Amino acid sequence: MKSLGAYLALWLQGLLYALPFVVVLLLAGMPYWPFPQLWPGWSFQAWSLLWGGSDNVVPAFLHSLVLALSVGALATLGGFLSSRALQQGQLGGWARRWAYFPFLLTPVIYALLLQYFFTWLGWGGSLGGVLLAQLFITYPFAFLFFQGFWTRRVQDLENAAITLGAHQGQVFWRVLWPYARPALVTCFFQTFLISWFEYGLTSVIGLGKVPTLALAVFQYLSEANPALAAAAGLLLIAPPLFLLWLNKRILLTAAVYEV
Amino acid sequence: MKFEVRDITKHYGQQPVLRGTGLSLKARRCLSILGPSGCGKSTLLKVLAGLETAESGRILFDGQSLEKVPARRRGLVYLSQEPLLFPYLNVFENISFGLRLQKRPAQEIRQRTGELIEALGLEGMSEKMPAALSGGQRQRVAFGRALIIHPRVLLLDEPFGALDAQTRSEMQKLFMQISSREGITSLFVTHDAREALVVGHQWAFMEKGRLRQYETTAAFMADPATGLPQEMRFWQGLQEEQKQNQDPI
Repeated sequence: MKSLGAYLALWLQGLLYALPFVVVLLLAGMPYWPFPQLWPGWSFQAWSLLWGGSDNVVPAFLHSLVLALSVGALATLGGFLSSRALQQGQLGGWARRWAYFPFLLTPVIYALLLQYFFTWLGWGGSLGGVLLAQLFITYPFAFLFFQGFWTRRVQDLENAAITLGAHQGQVFWRVLWPYARPALVTCFFQTFLISWFEYGLTSVIGLGKVPTLALAVFQYLSEANPALAAAAGLLLIAPPLFLLWLNKRILLTAAVYEV
Repeated sequence: MKFEVRDITKHYGQQPVLRGTGLSLKARRCLSILGPSGCGKSTLLKVLAGLETAESGRILFDGQSLEKVPARRRGLVYLSQEPLLFPYLNVFENISFGLRLQKRPAQEIRQRTGELIEALGLEGMSEKMPAALSGGQRQRVAFGRALIIHPRVLLLDEPFGALDAQTRSEMQKLFMQISSREGITSLFVTHDAREALVVGHQWAFMEKGRLRQYETTAAFMADPATGLPQEMRFWQGLQEEQKQNQDPI
């Protein structure tokens, strides 16, 4: 049973988390509060400007969604497969060392290094180029993420399936894939978030030609337009919250197989 | 029908693990292999199952050579000390796993799995997930999963080693009962001499990568290397001591 102090601390923590959201909601829906009115007035002007108005963010939202879903799926799958290759001795230890390289630099510095090559190859300023650049960060992240997955236990489960008659494909789809599902979902969610909120790499490689929601929010902030920034900010947090809700059993509990 | 292993050798680095190991096993019989930890018992079973490779030696089933046959086609199922169930499958799905790999008809899968669940004393647990089972129940499921595909030889690597004494005894009885009913040929590795005697029809002792097989039960029990004569002397001595203490003065 929790003590009163613990309840209060919990409530305080919740309040601290919730307050920024309340402020963003107020800014997005009640931008005007002239003196001497007691309550601010409702206005959906920011929303109408964002949805099809002069500040239409629908293309940016779709770009962000395509990028984050593709980056999340490709990085997770690539990281899963290549970490398995490392575990099976098909990759040298150099692969693990190189995987840390992107994290030694900040994304913006890394983007400046990449920009030269992307421009030279003609990939700068394109959706494909931004996707590839984001994979340069998320794929090593996923590769390192799965290092801890390939334990002796996984090998033993594979062996159990093999002696029962499973071929390589069956081992992958009937043993590894379902066993790894919680880790795969977690990794997808994290790489999705990296891509979804990515700013520096996207702006440098995208050359301003690939609008994303994160870039739009920063733009409204730099224009000192809090109502638009708040409305776009709410759009920005909606998909991650939806994904979190969709996979709450895995992401919000310790859904690890230990039997 | 006969299972034969001849002159298997294997090293881990410079360290020899199996030194010309050989054995012979008749169909529908269980060969108990007794040996201390680290003597090479588990490695031998893994080599036979095709999960590890030996440097030399022969593995013959009914005269057919199995060394080059991939693990999945050998029909030698390896059962480890830990039950190693698929944690995302329930009891029914775990037991029927091998039949699903073989793409058997749904009706056959239902019938055979149902029968085995009953024989294993797991009625009413079909829908349970492994995390909800006790150690003994998990080992029953693992046993059923191995049995359902009718393996040529079942390789049991101290399967009841992690269970408490009572459950272990129950599992030994269940193993003998089902093995006899299904006509299973098996290699049963253990470091418990009593267990070796209880479950086996043939016996062997393994030490430092070498295996010695005995012709008779008496020969196995008389070999000081197994520790059995010493243990019997201990119990006999204890019995005599108790008798003397009970005698009126």
